[in-house]
Amino acid sequence: MPAEPVYSSAEDPQLVEWAKAGDMVAFEELVSRHRDRIYVRAYSIMRNEDLAVDLSQNAWVKAWQRLDQFHGDASFPTWLSRIVTNLCLDELRRQKRARMDSIEAMEESTGPVENRLEMEMVDPVEGLDREELRERIDAALAKLSDKHRTVIVLYEFEQLEYRQIADRMGTSIGTVMSRLFYARKRMASLLNETLKRDGLIE
Amino acid sequence: MNENETELRVQALVDGELAGTEADELRARIQGDDALRELHARLTAARGLMDGAELPRPLPEPGDFHWSQISEAIEREDRQARRLAKPSTRAGWLLSWLPPLAGAACILLLLTSPSRHDGPPDLGIMLGSDHELELSDDTIDVMTYNTGDDNMSIVWLDFSIDLRPDTLHIWLD
Repeated sequence: MPAEPVYSSAEDPQLVEWAKAGDMVAFEELVSRHRDRIYVRAYSIMRNEDLAVDLSQNAWVKAWQRLDQFHGDASFPTWLSRIVTNLCLDELRRQKRARMDSIEAMEESTGPVENRLEMEMVDPVEGLDREELRERIDAALAKLSDKHRTVIVLYEFEQLEYRQIADRMGTSIGTVMSRLFYARKRMASLLNETLKRDGLIE
Repeated sequence: MNENETELRVQALVDGELAGTEADELRARIQGDDALRELHARLTAARGLMDGAELPRPLPEPGDFHWSQISEAIEREDRQARRLAKPSTRAGWLLSWLPPLAGAACILLLLTSPSRHDGPPDLGIMLGSDHELELSDDTIDVMTYNTGDDNMSIVWLDFSIDLRPDTLHIWLD
């Protein structure tokens, strides 16, 4: 009689192989290992807890259905992160269609202001630990427009190249560069604002 | 090249998206331009700041519940996919021929039927001009509802005896 697979000690690639053969327990173990990371990525883009939970659940369902397409070129969590990112982009497009107004209109109104912003210097300061800084970065990200935040998340966190971001967002490389530039300007400005307000920098 | 394009190219350099001669030329230009040097420094600092800055967040629902939602969705979609799945080749072949064969059989039956006539089928019931149903047996109440628009008649029979063909004669006149 073959031995029962030891799921908790198995490596991801082994679990993926078992899951590909229809083993739901192996897949459950993968979910258990990576669910927080996938949720965080969805939250970073959507900034909405309920939506992030729904989209990360959908990502797992899609992953199960597409396991045959996973060939191990990237790690399993990276592959899954791509799936949830794409779902988030689809959701943002859907939202945009639903409210035909905002994003473009907002960019039109805020663009010129952002263009006038100076690129401010932001350095981690003494007395401000990494965790505190992360929280401030997170708060600043929440204040960006959907498109600026998405491009930052895709570049900085998802570590995609300009070309890959352009493909996923259905836009040109030039637009990606421009959005990334203004998103960084805005982030720097927001961070300086909060650090000054808290007396952490002059 | 305008100022905005130069800024975007400096950013591309910081992001490692510029290579070869293009990158070398821009580096040389940055060295000789205070404003570009400052922009390069600021972009590099901003880039360093974002590195690994994604705030970790625990899933706002219990892991078991999260998994149960996922596994239910997987099962639901599997069931739906099976339902929508195409039938097997042999069954598909049969199903594709079934409707035309059935149609042909019906036509053949109608053409060869010996009791074929132009009027309504002989049910032992006759319809008169007023489309009222009449019964020979007084123990049965009858109520008829006719809708001329829909060409439909509805008949209620209320009886307390066993209906037998030899004791009951129903006709419409």
